Amino acid sequence: MRRREFLAASGIGLWPASPTAFAAQNSPPADAFRAVGSRVRITGMKVFGVSLTPDSDRPYVFVKLETDQGVVGWGEATLEGKAGAALACLEDFRDFVIGADPMQVEHHWQSMYVHTFYRAGPVIGSAISGIDQAMWDIRGQVLGLPVHQLLGGPIDPRGVRGYYHADSEDRDELLRLRQTALREGISCFKSGLPEYYEWIGTRAKIERAVRHIQGLREGLGPDIDIAVDFHAKTSPSVATIICKEVEPLNLLFIEEPCPPENVKAMARIARRTTVPIATGERLIAPYGCRELIEMGAVDILQTDINHVGGITALWKVAAMADASGISMAPHACEGPIGGLATLHVDAAMPNFLVQEICSGVRPEMKEKVWEEWFGFPAMRMVGGHFPLPEKPGLGFELTEASLKKFPFGGTRPMARVFHEDGSVAEW
Amino acid sequence: MADLDITALDAWMLHEPVSRRGYCVVRLKTKSGLLGYGECVDASAAEIEIARRVVIGRPATSHEAVRIQLGRVPHAEAGVNIAMLDLVGKFAKAPVYQVLGGPTRHRVRALASLDGAADEDLVSSLKARHAAGFRAFAVPLPTVMARNQGQAFAEAVSRRFDKLRAAAADADFVLDGASSLTPGDAGRYAAAIERFHLLWFDEPCPLLNLSAVRKITDESATPIGFGRHIERPGEVQNALREEAVDILRPDIARHGISQIRRMAALAETYYVAVAPHHEGGPIGTAAALHLAASLPNFFIQHIPVPTAEADRRMRAELTGGSLETVKDGFATLPTAPGLGITVHEEALEKYKERA
Repeated sequence: MRRREFLAASGIGLWPASPTAFAAQNSPPADAFRAVGSRVRITGMKVFGVSLTPDSDRPYVFVKLETDQGVVGWGEATLEGKAGAALACLEDFRDFVIGADPMQVEHHWQSMYVHTFYRAGPVIGSAISGIDQAMWDIRGQVLGLPVHQLLGGPIDPRGVRGYYHADSEDRDELLRLRQTALREGISCFKSGLPEYYEWIGTRAKIERAVRHIQGLREGLGPDIDIAVDFHAKTSPSVATIICKEVEPLNLLFIEEPCPPENVKAMARIARRTTVPIATGERLIAPYGCRELIEMGAVDILQTDINHVGGITALWKVAAMADASGISMAPHACEGPIGGLATLHVDAAMPNFLVQEICSGVRPEMKEKVWEEWFGFPAMRMVGGHFPLPEKPGLGFELTEASLKKFPFGGTRPMARVFHEDGSVAEW
Repeated sequence: MADLDITALDAWMLHEPVSRRGYCVVRLKTKSGLLGYGECVDASAAEIEIARRVVIGRPATSHEAVRIQLGRVPHAEAGVNIAMLDLVGKFAKAPVYQVLGGPTRHRVRALASLDGAADEDLVSSLKARHAAGFRAFAVPLPTVMARNQGQAFAEAVSRRFDKLRAAAADADFVLDGASSLTPGDAGRYAAAIERFHLLWFDEPCPLLNLSAVRKITDESATPIGFGRHIERPGEVQNALREEAVDILRPDIARHGISQIRRMAALAETYYVAVAPHHEGGPIGTAAALHLAASLPNFFIQHIPVPTAEADRRMRAELTGGSLETVKDGFATLPTAPGLGITVHEEALEKYKERA
């Protein structure tokens, strides 16, 4: 006798063995939304793993939704270092997507999040993000408006202020970068820290980090904003020492001064320095941002549209942050679909600060591929601002054929780095 | 100048003839000739003029940019926000809730306030509203006679709910405190009525010192509602952080659709539902229904019910039809583009407040 039958037979099976036994309405009647929904239905979902180089650690994960009206939508679910998991998770959501009315994106977001039971971590969050973006792309096209207008923007008619990365420690190179920035209207750069740090810092490492940040200010000058990404390589102790030393440089922000799990540790760093603290690129769903916002300790949130839950979730997080005077500087270090999607949301945020793109001031192979795909230089600034896509939806066209040149090279781990004694280091 | 650019803003301050319930109707016009309607609580001529200067020449889609610029005239902002979303929906040929990512639900649970002060009056009001299709009702507290009260008041509250429950077995109730108690008294009575399993106890006291207010949710299991007097989202954040609120009650005609959506995003992460307050006119009701169908964490919509025939006629003349009709406790979602209502301008002129 199986356990369930035993319980039933013995009369102690008071609780249903499966949740459906209690559920009078496990799913709404098929026509429940007929009178109030749209006529558009999703008829197909295709997922793509796209490796720009065969050994890429972050193959793009794209999702394409097809509808019975001929409109298609694209979204991005790239999860760095875990491409295979993101691709598989998108497939797991197939039943949530096929037959759905893409106009009711909030409803489907809730269903994907709540009915997943475990809520969302980065894998599920990325899959929801990709589907959400693709539904918004369809929504905008059906409604005849670019997504940033559906969200009530643009607030800044010049577009979306952005920054490039600049990791040089060479004075002459930084001086040349300054000249380029002044000529092209670029107002901000971000750099990393030069080494890996243990949870207590040796004097040599701390002083080199401080010198690196000072060198950025000396090379780039006083009128260009500088952000420094600690990338969670530092502990609260080490980060605080470096922050105190660089306070006189008036940085735009320092980013992820410690890993994201312990919000109180992050808040403690913020309390001990005047340097604005940014974090949040690894947070999933508005729920994942609640504690950080509630504490009001950090200055800037950097949630990523490809992980936090797409346009729906990024918009909500920005609204939540705004109630506490917290600014938004969304992370973008994956592919161009999420990048373009995030511009739409940025444009409608009253508390928007600046948008990242993991590119240098000069376009390289990646940027050239993006331009080939879209027919315009996606995620390249003009006068220090990303131009807003003006066509309905996310505002671009992409063909499956153009992706075929970059077949999926498989999942590759992100950088694995170790300290000099062989112990595991954060990068 | 693009087709969706706003070329005119007009406003009418209306009062219902008998109840004197008041609301301001805002109308925006685009270059292409679309008309969008919104509603707010009383906005002065000066506030409307400020709104006019900001909004004219702006595309109807820039509702978020306009919302920020109207921060110093929040009431007018609420009306303008609703009217801009009406325009976007009409342009896109979709109901506002679809523009906003809904529908999240296909019907909207409705709440009606009961009229009267004495238990007998409330019971007959309950019977009338129940017959009209409502199943959830907001009930006033017995008259508060002193800053702190004792046994007699507790018994009066219990007696009231005993009688109401006897009159309608399938009814749910909200106790409306109208900010009339002290936090200490509110906690005591919130605990005393736990056994009635009310939907919630609304505005039991003014939302002042949150540590004091929090005593209510600490001392009782009765859910507590606040929000109709809240001015800014930061106050919502504080009330949520202090665990002082179980159901958020922003006012549709004070806060508008977009501002309430932003408050609702905060509330969602605290597992707190939203039940917008509404004591205005039918355009506000339409806006609230669209808002409800755009939110994941909506619970119930307060719908004003006119008692006097003249008031009922005025509401019907304004927007016609069955917008505020409730069946089995639920209102029906409009399905036409924008707010999905037709505003009859001759009624605006007819009921306009005389200067």
